[in-house]
Amino acid sequence: MSASVGGVGSTIHSHLFFRSLYQPAAAFGELSRREPAPLGVFFGHSLWLLLLPPVFAYVGGANLGWRLGAEQPLLLPPNELLLISVGYFLTLVFGLFSTALISRWMAATYGANASLGRHLALITMVGEPLAVASAAHLFPNVLVQVLVLIPTLIWSMNLLYRGIPIVLETPPERGMLMASSLVAWLLVAAVSLLGISMSLWVLGVGPLLGV
Amino acid sequence: MTEVAPAKVYHDTIVIRLIQYSVIWALVAMLGGVWLAAELVWPGLDFGQSWLSYGRLRPLHTNGVIFGFGVSALMATAFYSVQRTCHVPLFLPRLAWFCCHAWQLIVLLGGLSLLAGHNAGKEYAELEWPFDIAIAVVWVCFAVVFFGTIATRKIRPIYISNWFYGALIIVIAMLHIVNSLAVPVGPMRSYSLFAGAQDAVVQWWYGHNAVGFLLTGGFLGMLYYFLPKQSGRPIWSYRLSVLAFWAFVYSYIWAGPHHLHYNSVPDWVQTLGMVMSIVLLAPSWATMVNGIMTVSSAWEKLRTDPALKFIVLSLAFYGLATFEGPMMSIRSVNVVSHFTDWTIGHVHSGALGWNAMITYGTFYFMAPRLVGAELYSRRLANAHFWLALAGTMLYIVAMWAAGVSQGLLWLSVDEIGELSFDFKDIMASMNPYYILRLVAGLIFLTGTFLMAYNLYMTVRGRPAQRATVPAVAPAYGVG
Amino acid sequence: MSGMWLHRKFEEHTGLLIFGILFVSAIGGLVQLLPILDQESLETAEANTRPHTALELAGRDIYIREGCSVCHSQQIRPLIAEVERYGPYSRAGEFVYDRPFLWGSKRTGPDLHRIGGRYSDDWHRIHLLDPRAVVPGSIMPAYPWLARRAAPTGEDMAARMAGLRLLGHPYTDEDIANAGAELDGLMEIDALIAYLQSLGTGYTEAGP
Repeated sequence: MSASVGGVGSTIHSHLFFRSLYQPAAAFGELSRREPAPLGVFFGHSLWLLLLPPVFAYVGGANLGWRLGAEQPLLLPPNELLLISVGYFLTLVFGLFSTALISRWMAATYGANASLGRHLALITMVGEPLAVASAAHLFPNVLVQVLVLIPTLIWSMNLLYRGIPIVLETPPERGMLMASSLVAWLLVAAVSLLGISMSLWVLGVGPLLGV
Repeated sequence: MTEVAPAKVYHDTIVIRLIQYSVIWALVAMLGGVWLAAELVWPGLDFGQSWLSYGRLRPLHTNGVIFGFGVSALMATAFYSVQRTCHVPLFLPRLAWFCCHAWQLIVLLGGLSLLAGHNAGKEYAELEWPFDIAIAVVWVCFAVVFFGTIATRKIRPIYISNWFYGALIIVIAMLHIVNSLAVPVGPMRSYSLFAGAQDAVVQWWYGHNAVGFLLTGGFLGMLYYFLPKQSGRPIWSYRLSVLAFWAFVYSYIWAGPHHLHYNSVPDWVQTLGMVMSIVLLAPSWATMVNGIMTVSSAWEKLRTDPALKFIVLSLAFYGLATFEGPMMSIRSVNVVSHFTDWTIGHVHSGALGWNAMITYGTFYFMAPRLVGAELYSRRLANAHFWLALAGTMLYIVAMWAAGVSQGLLWLSVDEIGELSFDFKDIMASMNPYYILRLVAGLIFLTGTFLMAYNLYMTVRGRPAQRATVPAVAPAYGVG
Repeated sequence: MSGMWLHRKFEEHTGLLIFGILFVSAIGGLVQLLPILDQESLETAEANTRPHTALELAGRDIYIREGCSVCHSQQIRPLIAEVERYGPYSRAGEFVYDRPFLWGSKRTGPDLHRIGGRYSDDWHRIHLLDPRAVVPGSIMPAYPWLARRAAPTGEDMAARMAGLRLLGHPYTDEDIANAGAELDGLMEIDALIAYLQSLGTGYTEAGP
């Protein structure tokens, strides 16, 4: 899935990203010895991973329809589903870049390495289990999502706390502080997303609401 | 100015005792919460006993957590820090001991009265009028001890943490007295002085600001003392903390009516509540930034103290809760979230992520220092950290999913405007989320048990250290 | 900055700090509460709204005792879906005899503001004693003790009604004197059902 795209000075290979799934410490250690180019990381790896969740969501939604919990599945017309999937993809891209940029912005405060490529690679590695676990979207039932994605989410948070000191070469205590600051940002981003989608729904985008 | 007598020591035994009470209430009240979560999955778990019934157990859970765990922790930390920031022992120590024990008695008997069904019917103010009077009396005594200590201080400026504890004491007194006004019609029954829509506005003025000044303001007092203390650095920006404090005290009080969006109260009061809730984000986050920057500039001193991890993470959840709150007070979000489990999730992101975590952090900080020993086990504390984080995350996400589903499905209509889903079908589909929430609660409770054991082993058989009052540098002394 | 100078005053004088906090925190409450408490329309009953009878009042107190409002709201918002599901939206004037108000903040069960007259007394009786007998999959607790315990005595209710009369509820001496007869021989479950059946009947779209 993350076929190595050459050029653009990318100095990391896709096997590193696979490795981060089962040997995260070693993968982080290897990453800390590289200076990857941001665009190389993005087009070589992140992009493909970010494509997974929307694709899974589209396939699942088109075949089975979303079950929000009640009896009938919510079957959306294909073009609307496509729109939602594209929106989902763009949100993920925005999430990745904003988190990487904020992480880089925080780096000075926490005495961490400030190369954008590394931040991008780190955030990609941290989010990678989630991208893989988004296969749960193929079974569009909110419960399945929660059951699969929450444990994965906690695993990813664990990776964040472990990864920052290694990859960004900062003492563990400072890495801990930085990871917590990033967690704060991610929580706020998540809840904003929730709020924005609720507002859009109420204003008439998406399923019909009697408000 | 009089010289400080060298033999003067801080009153710390009372702090240890309050921490012990607080931990006990945490265990009891959280166990109650887990039991309630289980009853939503298996309604038969009340075994036909009235006192185990959901509607009676829930006020015990909320009161136990807020007034048992929370207030005991606030008293402990307030007594601990006010002595050290004023360089004097507690004012009227016997009165302080009275507060400590009388408060525990109120929570204990109050809790039993709730199980017996004596409920005044107002959320977070369920206790009946005899308890209301007792609370007011003990609270005034608390105020006398606290402000008395400040008035006899040897340091000229009153330290920041004390402003927040002071605001907690004053504002809670005001809210409690007004909201509890009622006509007693029996030894354990009364009718509110306010009725209907007016009662609703008074109640949420109280309810929201009990959260504001107790669960936010009081715990910010903790933050402002323990964070600089532990990192050995002053607060990052004094000016910011001054601004944030007054803005916080001024604006929080307006936000109550966001609990009544689209309810039968006048529009202007709803709109005012919404606007001021959004304004509130500024002082809330100013404090968060101040806290984060304080630790950030002093990381070298922090090393692996487990207390720090909790305090730092609590700031992250504080950031979430204080952002989510204003967002949920926007009418177009509130129309979906109101009456759903999203509200429950929001409360717990504050209560578990912020209040409990920072309290755990301060307990891990204080307990070893109070008895002059090392913490019994750092590994256990670390395990607790991850259990607390995992439990909180699982809880929040499960309730987000449940709440959003409820909100959307309740309001869903088809092309001809008919309701798409039946209420009982929607709620029947919540079962899996309620199971997840139960698991989350169990994980969090397990962590709390680990802490209780860890703290118990730390202070067991050790008396309080005799911490002497240091001399005051003349520049800061009271003229 | 002059604000900092002002703050220094507060921060060095205990009394001033107490006063400052009290003053600054009181403003918002006063601006909201005083007009609301003064607004007569919020104290004016709808044409059909009457005080609870002795039996309904006893039922309402049981409703509070069992914490029903923890899971059931009594507040229908003016939204299409909500009005369709529950009935005409709630009016402030319908709650003027509610001390305390019981609008609730969470719906684990449905809203009950217009539950009155929707189901038979028998349905309620079965439902309260064994919710899953009539609503499969319901997670509502059962309340078997309500059928075993006698409703409050007339004396007890007279004291409660006298208290409410003090607060302005228009109970006559006769209402209070008859409380005993009204409750005679009834159980708690009867009182609660009477209260539930009275809910939401204080307003009719047709008008009085």
